[in-house]
Amino acid sequence: MIRTLNFILVLTSILGLVAVYGLKFSVEETASSKFALERTIEAQEAELSLLKADWSFLNQPGHIAPIVQRHEAALALVRIDQKQFGSFNDIPMRPAEPDTDALDELFQLLNAGIDPIDQILEQILEE
Amino acid sequence: MAIATEGTKPIALDGGRKARGNLTRARIRWVIVAIVLGFAVVGGRLVQLGSVVNDPTIEGQTRDAITATRPAILDRNGLEMAVDIRVPSLFAEPRRIIDVDEATEALMTVMPDMNREWLRNRLTGDRGFVWVRREITPALKERILQLGIPGLDFVTESKRFYPGGHEASHVLGAVNIDNQGIAGIERHMDGESVALLQELGIARGRELAPVELSIDMRVQHVLHQELTDALTRYHAIAAAGVILDVRTGEVLALSSLPDFDPNVPATALEKDRFNRITSGIFELGSTMKTVTFAGALDSGRVKITDQFDARFGIRFGRFTIDDFHAKHRVLDASEVYKYSSNIGTIRIMQAMGKDEFRAFLTTLGFDKRVPFELPEMRDPVVPATFSEIVAATASFGHGLSISPLHMAVATAAFVNDGFMVNPTLYKRDLDAARQLYKPVISPATSQEIRYLMRLNALEGSGTRMNRLAAGYRLGGKTGTAEKVVNGRYSSDKVLNVFSSAFPLEDPRYAIVILIDEPEAENAQSGRTAGWNAGEMSGRIVQRIAPMLGIKPDFNEGLDAAIVQAAMR
Repeated sequence: MIRTLNFILVLTSILGLVAVYGLKFSVEETASSKFALERTIEAQEAELSLLKADWSFLNQPGHIAPIVQRHEAALALVRIDQKQFGSFNDIPMRPAEPDTDALDELFQLLNAGIDPIDQILEQILEE
Repeated sequence: MAIATEGTKPIALDGGRKARGNLTRARIRWVIVAIVLGFAVVGGRLVQLGSVVNDPTIEGQTRDAITATRPAILDRNGLEMAVDIRVPSLFAEPRRIIDVDEATEALMTVMPDMNREWLRNRLTGDRGFVWVRREITPALKERILQLGIPGLDFVTESKRFYPGGHEASHVLGAVNIDNQGIAGIERHMDGESVALLQELGIARGRELAPVELSIDMRVQHVLHQELTDALTRYHAIAAAGVILDVRTGEVLALSSLPDFDPNVPATALEKDRFNRITSGIFELGSTMKTVTFAGALDSGRVKITDQFDARFGIRFGRFTIDDFHAKHRVLDASEVYKYSSNIGTIRIMQAMGKDEFRAFLTTLGFDKRVPFELPEMRDPVVPATFSEIVAATASFGHGLSISPLHMAVATAAFVNDGFMVNPTLYKRDLDAARQLYKPVISPATSQEIRYLMRLNALEGSGTRMNRLAAGYRLGGKTGTAEKVVNGRYSSDKVLNVFSSAFPLEDPRYAIVILIDEPEAENAQSGRTAGWNAGEMSGRIVQRIAPMLGIKPDFNEGLDAAIVQAAMR
């Protein structure tokens, strides 16, 4: 009876030992992969910070202005003059649309062989 | 059970049960010993672990301080003005270096500019950590790694990078190699209380909320470029300028030349690189007349239609004060301003009263530093009480020294219906600014000052400026101050100032431009402020007004509206 109990106890302690070691190794592995990930993140953050710095450098007005000056002649760039500004109020209104009904009537008359100009001329001659 | 025998000791035999009992006791003893030993081992290990000292510092600084990041600084449109880049720094652990000479030679091959002796001394010894070179390039790091020297390693540090270079140097300031602010807004950010640090996001770990400034980098660029141009065009020794939003007090641009490169902070220490806008104090000359007029008109003792006798110079003991562009006739107040008459201005100040004039300067905050974020400041020099002659010279800007920022803030208040607001480098909205408004003159006086400033652009010393900035309703006052050389006023060394505001029918922006010791641009041009500081202001406004959404308008009705009813 005691013998079997001892046997069971020894067996459980061996099992416990194996489990604890297994856990330990898996934790160590997780820790090292976490560390590797952290290093990757750090490296990528460093790279990202450099790219961001590059981007903001390229966007500075102080960086763009010399480029504009270099291509001033080729692109015919000149500084804007006050006279070049305008507003919607300065644009003239759209001209009145042509009177399409009257035109249609005119074409119909011409097709029918009646020339309004001739009629006017005739009227003048008669007078 | 003892058997007694003659002459011998009695033989005692233990019974089986007793013998087993003894054996068990001995076993228990051994087990106890084993357990005690086991606990002793565990306890010893605990003591050992507890006594390990983990040094978290690197050469006296905490590792956190070295790798700490600073929040990015953005301009008002979200463009980065300062960013952190993460760069490797090379350190060595001398106690782990096997062959110092070999390591030194190998490092010299990739970093030939290092001092061999210094490097050898650095790597010798039993120390656990020494810096070899901080903030190196990633390419250099790769090459050092390929050398494969044991005992060398890298720490990723944060390095401050200013993509704009020189352009906003005096605003931004600089940081030292440990990323601590040593000048400008960087210093201010560090000096704030912890609560504000948290508000700004500095104390919140890695992801820091960026700080938004009131600076507009486009305007800053234009200002910087025009000032640079002025240094060559007028052979001046220095030039500076500041542009304020008059309603909110936000500083849109601030530049002072010669300046420095914040990426190389050591250049800031060179001679004459100080910020002339905040830490320079000058006798600002005739631009002070705007202040005298504002005070006098607001006191009610002087009306804009009043006449002043400017026929003769005014005598104070053995001094006689006369006019530069002398008219020698009776002038009305607007003519005094337009012709920049010293005599007329003195009479206006006298009509107001010298003590009232002195009190008005206090109201404008000319006695103390302008409350502003930049730490580079100098106390203005304004006499505590004015005698007759000091008051007279002060009325046209001599005998008292203030910073150009004082003048910019005062000019902004004069055109902003008389409401003064402290300038700021942080973004501020109109509602927040209104809480800070302090009335210094009445809105009616503000109207009159706006009229005078515009009149000076149309008919006075600002006409050259007005031709350049046509359509933007810019107006202001010129000031040509003779500099003190060896204790006397020199007529060949002048400091020229132009303080202006636009668009004057509804003022939005105030500008103060300063140019130190300019020469005439060519034989035909003059040397007074209208020729240089004035023209510069015109060129600047011509470029920045479209960026700020101010549309040119050639409608003459606008100018007519500014003109006072009393003057028509």
